[in-house]
Amino acid sequence: MWDYLFDDVKRMNKRQFIYQVLSFGMIVSSALMIWKGLMVVTGSESPIVVVLSGSMEPAFHRGDLLFLTNYPEEPVRVGEIVVFKVEGRDIPIVHRVLKLHEKNNGTVKFLTKGDNNSVDDRGLYAQGQLWLTKKDVVGRARGFLPYVGMVTIYMNEYPKFKFAVLACLAVYVLVHRE
Amino acid sequence: MTETRSSDAPEVVTINKFDGAAAKNAIDDAIREVFTGDLKCKESFALIDGRLVLCALAVGVALYALLWDYLYPFPQSRLVLIICVSSYFILMGILTLYTTFKEKGIFVVAKEKHGNGMRIWEASSYVKKHDDKYNLVLVMRDSNTGKTREASVIKSFANFIDVNGVIVQSIVTSEVTKLYNSLLNEKKEK
Repeated sequence: MWDYLFDDVKRMNKRQFIYQVLSFGMIVSSALMIWKGLMVVTGSESPIVVVLSGSMEPAFHRGDLLFLTNYPEEPVRVGEIVVFKVEGRDIPIVHRVLKLHEKNNGTVKFLTKGDNNSVDDRGLYAQGQLWLTKKDVVGRARGFLPYVGMVTIYMNEYPKFKFAVLACLAVYVLVHRE
Repeated sequence: MTETRSSDAPEVVTINKFDGAAAKNAIDDAIREVFTGDLKCKESFALIDGRLVLCALAVGVALYALLWDYLYPFPQSRLVLIICVSSYFILMGILTLYTTFKEKGIFVVAKEKHGNGMRIWEASSYVKKHDDKYNLVLVMRDSNTGKTREASVIKSFANFIDVNGVIVQSIVTSEVTKLYNSLLNEKKEK
């Protein structure tokens, strides 16, 4: 089998080889453009997220896939589930809005809490931060798909496995003609 | 990535003869060699170059969107992203149309001078999934008369590939030459 593996590549002429590289590029760019397209449609910088912790049980479990929207004209309301970023943390947090103050000019500040946590999120926010504002919000949960995200979680827990899978796919696409 | 010419020492091409795509590609290559070698035609790359340009444009647009989004994070880059995403999918559509209606499986376009005109030969092939029948279609366009002639042959892979998975160039050559001559003769009769 290994004898055949690189034969296709060796026999290609210049144009066929360029096409092979470009078609690999197009697989990657298609995925990228779908993601960017979703960003534009939903208005959220990360339209799909995976729930990583059990802090929102029983609403969301670890491994659920969430779809987010972030339309600027929709106001944030108490009881909604928001995904927000906190300075100094890489991973966004999915929690429910607990208290909210809105001014006449439309600016809001709000406090969040995980359904399964016994205290609110002030301990999670950046040092000295008491409220979240609109700019911290990544999106609001609009729908979810249970368990699908477990794949992502396992992939991130075993990075070597992830890179092995990706490398195998890349080699297959690059080496196999059409 | 070696450029092969039949004038060089014949390279032995061994393929997995049970892999339909590999067998088709290898026979396509052999037929291309017949045109550029024995039949002394000049290969024209315009068709495949067109496809390469479309692909390169699409990948370029995607890379540009990636770079722009990195430099100006999302809400700012919205307009550029809209333009990039829509042009990317339009390009993909054009590419699909190009390969289905313009390329139609043509793997070699060869130009042959005769008199003060040109004959253009287009060879295309297709193989059905899980089938061993190789369909070769040869189209000749004469720039003098502006007429188009077509001939085709359907043969099993087994006719072109020996038991070890080696392409038998002499059989491919004779098969292509037969088609080539039939198209030329047909022309003379009329």
